[in-house]
Amino acid sequence: MEKKLLLMVMSIFSLFPMFSEGQQEGPKQIPPVDMDRTYEITVGTWSQQLADTYAESLKSAEFTSKFPNISVSFMVADFSGHHSRAVTTIAAGEATNQIEMLEVAQIAKFVEGGGLTYLDEAPFNGFEAGKDIVDFAMGNATSESGKLVAFPVDIAPAVLFYRKSITDAAGVDMTKLNTWDQFIEAGKKLTIDKDGDGVIDQYAITHAVEVSNVPLNGGMAGWFDREGNPFEPKEKFILALELVKMVRDAGIDGDLGTWSPPWLQAYADGTVAATINGAWFGGGLETWIAPETKGDWRVAYIPGKSYASMGGSYFTIPEQVPADEKAAAWEVIKFLSTSDIAQLASFVEQAAFPVMTTLYDHPVMNEGVEFFGGQKVRQIFADVARNMPNDPVSEFDPIARAIFGNATTMVLVEGLSPEEAYQDALNELMAVIE
Amino acid sequence: MPKRSLRKTSFLGSQKLAPYVFISPFIISFLVFGLYPIGYSITMSFWKWTSNGPQEFVGFRNYIKLLTSDPFFLRTLWTSFVLMIFGSGLQHLFALPLAIFLNDSKIKGKDFFQLTYFLPYITSTVSIVLIFSQLFDENYGWLNYILTSWLHLNPVKWLNNPTAIKTSIAIMLNWRFIGWNTLIYVAGLQSIDRSLYEAAEIDGASKVQQAIRITLPLLKPIIFFTLTLSIIGGFQVFDEAFVLLGGYTRMGGPQNAGLTTAFYLMAMGFEFGRLGKGSAVAWLMFIVIILLNILHRQIGHREKRRTA
Amino acid sequence: MQASGLVNSGMLMKKIKSKLLSGGSRILLYLTLIVFAFIFAFPFYYVFVLASQEGTNMYTFPPHIFFSSHYLENIGKLFRDIPFARNFLNSVGIATTATFGTAFFCTMGGFALAKYRFKGKKIIYTFMLSTIAIPVFLNIIPFFKMMVAFNWYNTWLPLIMPGLANAFGIFLMTQFLEEAVPDDLLASARIDGLTEFGILMKIVFPLAKAGLAILMIVTFIGSWNNLIGPLVFLPEKMKTTIPVALTLLYNNLEGDRGGLMAGNTLAITPLMIVVIAFSKQIIAGLTAGSIKG
Repeated sequence: MEKKLLLMVMSIFSLFPMFSEGQQEGPKQIPPVDMDRTYEITVGTWSQQLADTYAESLKSAEFTSKFPNISVSFMVADFSGHHSRAVTTIAAGEATNQIEMLEVAQIAKFVEGGGLTYLDEAPFNGFEAGKDIVDFAMGNATSESGKLVAFPVDIAPAVLFYRKSITDAAGVDMTKLNTWDQFIEAGKKLTIDKDGDGVIDQYAITHAVEVSNVPLNGGMAGWFDREGNPFEPKEKFILALELVKMVRDAGIDGDLGTWSPPWLQAYADGTVAATINGAWFGGGLETWIAPETKGDWRVAYIPGKSYASMGGSYFTIPEQVPADEKAAAWEVIKFLSTSDIAQLASFVEQAAFPVMTTLYDHPVMNEGVEFFGGQKVRQIFADVARNMPNDPVSEFDPIARAIFGNATTMVLVEGLSPEEAYQDALNELMAVIE
Repeated sequence: MPKRSLRKTSFLGSQKLAPYVFISPFIISFLVFGLYPIGYSITMSFWKWTSNGPQEFVGFRNYIKLLTSDPFFLRTLWTSFVLMIFGSGLQHLFALPLAIFLNDSKIKGKDFFQLTYFLPYITSTVSIVLIFSQLFDENYGWLNYILTSWLHLNPVKWLNNPTAIKTSIAIMLNWRFIGWNTLIYVAGLQSIDRSLYEAAEIDGASKVQQAIRITLPLLKPIIFFTLTLSIIGGFQVFDEAFVLLGGYTRMGGPQNAGLTTAFYLMAMGFEFGRLGKGSAVAWLMFIVIILLNILHRQIGHREKRRTA
Repeated sequence: MQASGLVNSGMLMKKIKSKLLSGGSRILLYLTLIVFAFIFAFPFYYVFVLASQEGTNMYTFPPHIFFSSHYLENIGKLFRDIPFARNFLNSVGIATTATFGTAFFCTMGGFALAKYRFKGKKIIYTFMLSTIAIPVFLNIIPFFKMMVAFNWYNTWLPLIMPGLANAFGIFLMTQFLEEAVPDDLLASARIDGLTEFGILMKIVFPLAKAGLAILMIVTFIGSWNNLIGPLVFLPEKMKTTIPVALTLLYNNLEGDRGGLMAGNTLAITPLMIVVIAFSKQIIAGLTAGSIKG
């Protein structure tokens, strides 16, 4: 009886590989947008504010006059929830939204892994549509074989944000930091015991790892060199680990876990004087992290005028979206990513920096921003954006990032030397990708 | 008599047919929701299967690599094992005495205690994150506040030091399930005939002696049952580690201290897009759980023979 | 007579002894129970303390210990940031349907395994138990494919249907019904002309109450707290459940932490009420269900 059952089960299992073959069909013909029918496009994203701004832009005449038959709605979940849902959906070979927005760190595994519509092919011709988009962002969305799998919508030039009242009180000028040593010296002056109870309650930055993000270009790309060697060039990674160690040894970071509640609160209550982050973080400070600190924040270049990227978002069309809906979805993407009106709206309202290089000289870049006390911060953002390093992405980026992150902690908490930590991390990563 | 034979012919009336009909929802539900996904994941485990589906058939390569060259897998087995012992197993050393205390007929406020002990069981992962990320916070958390201000000890890096990470997860598991196990033991204790204790008391046995000579032997089947559940559950710890250690991006923290096997397979499958390898991890984990349960049963049987 | 006298004298001795024993050990016993009660209850108290703090002033050193006055303000923020009322109703609807459905199908299955002799019973029983140990994690991808194929995506069904006749529930009810339903009662019901289904409805269910209480509570708690299910299958803000809505506040770059904490209290409170209301039945159900282990 049991043997029979086993046999039965085995024979059923042997059928399973057949189920997966469905996806290996040839490219389907994608019809252009049919003006005689209506389209309902849904976009999966992680930010309610961005969704609201996009929705507003899509109501403008520039889009509605051209495509009155396309209506767009947004499916918002929390950051990790949105990405795990999108990944599950795509990995299952299904599509529940015509457009999925993906963060730069998530894009790599799809670039080579697939599951997304190739946007370089007709009728999208994505390379043509994206000719004015900043190069590195397009490059990150292109596979080795030259396929465009995603379309950039915003990038994140990294800068140094600081509280002017705090730096003034300490007599520090954050705009004149030419080296990391000067940064650490300034940080020491910013790290003080305000209320005199013997416990330090004001730090220069929240966490030492912030500085490691700069040599690593935000940690979202560049884990492999152009030849595909992991953690190369080595000096870059050693430098990142050394910087982190220097900051921790100087005691100028509050050791607050990134995105933990106390970390968030530190920006509002003055526990922290400065932070290195992407331009979008200014939007977060203004809208919900520390709205009451309005007017006190300023922006400077990262010490030594380093250029780095810290974040960025892409639109994708899952492969399984019905062919007759793809063209309409593409029109929505193209509008949000390349039209001045949509790009500027997300920039001005949500600090999502435009991907369109044509906008970097736009008058809006020279306007003062109230939240930053009228400082013309966008000039700095635009300058960093123009000079942003172009690092390659790899499908192993997420695991490389996780491994290196733990190497950083080993240096900080367990006192490993940067060299030791680097070797351990390299060995682990090599074993994974072999 | 004729009435009876008539009933046998009618559907749902037949005593022969009825059990099959009654159990059929489970069979159907398993065939639909269980068998297909199980077969699917077994299939995946023999393929290089990425976010975009099957790439190539690799036979046992995923399994062999995990067992020989993977830098994480054996580490995760150890982590899961440690957590099974100190997270899921340790609970019983608290739960059993607590249950014996609660079962004392003269305890006042028994209902209150039982209710309070049940509370952690009703918490969701989301609530747990909110609560424990505060308690374990290295700067503002209660645990470090107590350590530094009251006991004048050094603060502990609850979520950054490898040993402390395992401890944190174990604390969370204990907190969440001690009460639940206590209640199960209380329930089991209530089925023990009170006159046994009375007789023992007449013989002059102390409370501790009573517990060892009467309670434990009689509770053995229940202890066996709860331990079985603890082995199954303890080896599959995921939620607690995942939320406490900031999701996939940290791979369980330094030295992967908090990376349980279940955590690893989720990361492999969903964060790193290696669904085939992730499936292989899942099935290796299943085999380990089955082996542990067989071992547990062997020990249980030997115990039985010894006491019998 | 003699026997009862013995018991009486035993009781008397016990009384004397317990009086003598009281004091030290009794205080220690209570102290242990209270310490653990405190450990288990404190985080709940703390959730309410945090929910009453201002959103920007949650974390202080030393940590907050007493209530502040911002609770209603935080509730207001919660309802401003997410459609909490809708999420609440969705959670109630899904959890209730799942609970009653599971109660029905698991009792039915448990009845079959507990009270009938039929071919294949042992195999089904053993097989059912072994399915409990099957890792559920990676099944989510094929399961997701199926739900889309069934057209169940964006409905409550993926969150309800698979668990209706689940192995653990049937196992629990089997254990319970073996004791709770006397065989001669079934026999006499059959003589009275009840059909097997009639027996299930009219005899088994009323007798299963205590076991059902624990099964239903466990099911309700599981469904109420389920995060990954609604996250994947009900991503729409208006259609989703409380845990998903709260993670939206927790991880997303929006919303107020005060509102989040207030939402957490509202997520916990219904369960606490249910547990308090049914605490007697839960204990009774556990007793009956675990006798056989």
